[in-house]
Amino acid sequence: MIQYDFVTFSMGQLPDRAEYTLLADKVVLLLRYPRYLLLMKTQYGDEAEMLIEEILRQGKDTASRVIIRAATRLKESLKVEKVCLVTLRDKFLVLVNKQFVMRCPYPSEEKDVPELTIKEKQLYLPPDINLKGLSDLEEGKPGNPGDEGICWRVNLDRFHQDFRDQIMVSAISRRLDDNAGELLRQLLKQMYLRTEPWVATSNPVPFTELREAVRKQSSYPLLAQYVDQYLKIMEEDSSGFVSKVGDSSGGQYSLNMKTAFIQLTWATIENIVMERFGSKAARIFRLVKAKKFVEQEQIQQIAMIPAKEAKLLTYKLLEENFLQMQELRKSLASNVPNKTFFLFYIDLNQVARMVLEMCCKALYNAMTRREYERSENRRMIEKQQRIELITLNMKEQGATSEQLAEIEEMLTPPEQALLEKVRIMINRLNEAELQLDETMFILQLYLSYQI
Amino acid sequence: MTTNKPEESVRNGNDQLSSLESSEHRILALAKGSGKGISDKDIQNEVPDLRPDQRASIINKLLAQGYFDLFNQGGTLLYKLKDPSRIQKVKGADNEEKIVYSIIEEAGNKGIWIRDIRFKSNLIPTQLNKILKILENKKLIKAVKSVSASKKKVYMLYNLEPDRTVTGGAWYCDQDFEAEFVDVLNQQCYRFLHQKLEATRDCKGGPIAARNISYASSKDVWKYISELGISKVQLSVEDMETILDTLLYDGKVERCVTTDGSHLYRAVESLLPAPGIVRIPCGVCPVLRHCSDVGSVNPKKCVYMKEWLE
Repeated sequence: MIQYDFVTFSMGQLPDRAEYTLLADKVVLLLRYPRYLLLMKTQYGDEAEMLIEEILRQGKDTASRVIIRAATRLKESLKVEKVCLVTLRDKFLVLVNKQFVMRCPYPSEEKDVPELTIKEKQLYLPPDINLKGLSDLEEGKPGNPGDEGICWRVNLDRFHQDFRDQIMVSAISRRLDDNAGELLRQLLKQMYLRTEPWVATSNPVPFTELREAVRKQSSYPLLAQYVDQYLKIMEEDSSGFVSKVGDSSGGQYSLNMKTAFIQLTWATIENIVMERFGSKAARIFRLVKAKKFVEQEQIQQIAMIPAKEAKLLTYKLLEENFLQMQELRKSLASNVPNKTFFLFYIDLNQVARMVLEMCCKALYNAMTRREYERSENRRMIEKQQRIELITLNMKEQGATSEQLAEIEEMLTPPEQALLEKVRIMINRLNEAELQLDETMFILQLYLSYQI
Repeated sequence: MTTNKPEESVRNGNDQLSSLESSEHRILALAKGSGKGISDKDIQNEVPDLRPDQRASIINKLLAQGYFDLFNQGGTLLYKLKDPSRIQKVKGADNEEKIVYSIIEEAGNKGIWIRDIRFKSNLIPTQLNKILKILENKKLIKAVKSVSASKKKVYMLYNLEPDRTVTGGAWYCDQDFEAEFVDVLNQQCYRFLHQKLEATRDCKGGPIAARNISYASSKDVWKYISELGISKVQLSVEDMETILDTLLYDGKVERCVTTDGSHLYRAVESLLPAPGIVRIPCGVCPVLRHCSDVGSVNPKKCVYMKEWLE
């Protein structure tokens, strides 16, 4: 588990014993592997995807071994005789440059409990890989590609950065239109030249550079024409992604990551309230958000909902902890009849954490159900697998089609139908887990910006 | 001589009576002349030959007949002549009814609650109820149900229109909140704004021009809805704004304030599609809190999941 970074160790109370801690968050990240691979495939191609997949499988490995394994798998899947090792190696170097993979820390000095450190500068130094040594290894001969002892692992934060950018671009495209989405993408690219990736607000980007960058790419001609107008609209939009911070060189614009994620979290939670309790409850929720502190009567009046229904929904939201109540007393003496005000408000931090827990629970439920379905139908699934294996063997041995058909029939139609159903169920549960992960991603990012 | 005495005494009595009547008329004329009212002293100056008890009886009679109103100013009592038109209404009523009627009259078109009448008039409840019933039968007052507390009745004069706070304005019809009416208006407004938004999609003039087309002021929406004619009651621009505000809280429109203080509304798309958690039954499950590995609510036997998976 240490190989996969799920467990870390450090020096404990006694100097020669190590203490191990489990990093639960990293285990949950296992769920996101398919997304990482999809990103790689769409942006950098199949070879990159294969490389990353190999590293993910092993946890940590040296570059040469990864390349060789990837080459073997590519050969099998694409059914070509020779896979060019040079391309693979170049792709690997590209990945290092873009910081998708990074070096692993290594022990600094001989101690009973080794401390793993690595210098900041060394993290992304590309390895020297000797092609001759590589091809030797591939053919099975002993060879030395020249990078023994340097292990690499996947830099998950970099992937998360890309996901974050994707979410922001798609949100703006929904709000305004595709041109605005493209503009935001360019703005993000410019931002990375000047700012650390995880700060709450980026450093300003001058307008002139942005316009140049937009003009260079040709797929959105309307955008080039109206860059300043789009910027103005994005700046005035209530989502608050972009703000103007200065006027030099045509205007300085900066991206507010923190505000952006606050808005996205509000949007997510409002959607959840709407799906769970109904659109009238969502109206009440947004009202309390806008007015910060409201009384029950005001809710009724402004939201234009009949009194009984409004009270029911408000107290339901209170019960499920989406709303909180604040008491304001006029005087502490209890014998004097006094009017105590009950105000409703929303504490976003608390609600976000609660929804995150809901997601985790739903995830657990989905996985449990999936296992249950699988174990219920285990006998059948095993039977099907056996039949497939037999069919494959017989095909290789050159059996006739009649024999194949005979074996196929060992699986009766109702069994086949049941198997089909089980397969659909398991797929659906898998999909649900991935979608849950998307929601969890937004909430986790929001919470990480709050600290 | 002896027979003259009874006639004399009768004649004296008649004289006395006629002098009483004439003093009454003189007092009335005096009261008519003075706008502010006459005090006891003024009456004494006017008719000096009346004895105090005679004066008192005249004044009481005039009060009872409703010609005079009694006012207390700084310790002295003033008598003011009442409007003859108002005298007609409470003719035949007795003192307590008159007091209750005047209290209700003061409350104007907001009406007054029965408890407040009791405080002001100091009458016992049963008597007050009887009086109110009599006045209602005479069609002088009416009871109107208040919209804020449905069991509370306020009383006001028969021919007055109840105030807006009592009936609730355009959204209430017979004390019932018209939820469907509000919903219909809501949908119509949203459709109007959405149509405007759709029209901008083909606009080639650049994003700012497109955005300006999609804006609509509350006046435009009001005109559109009035032309549609779906509402029986005449709606005002403020009513429109309350409906548009509900759309704002539905997350379907955005509002911005212009330089001349009016509001502009625009239909918007939400920032995100439906989040992942609601695609699985657990997201909308009402018993999510009770769900765990032990107990009868667990994922393996979950009915919602079974239905969803089929």
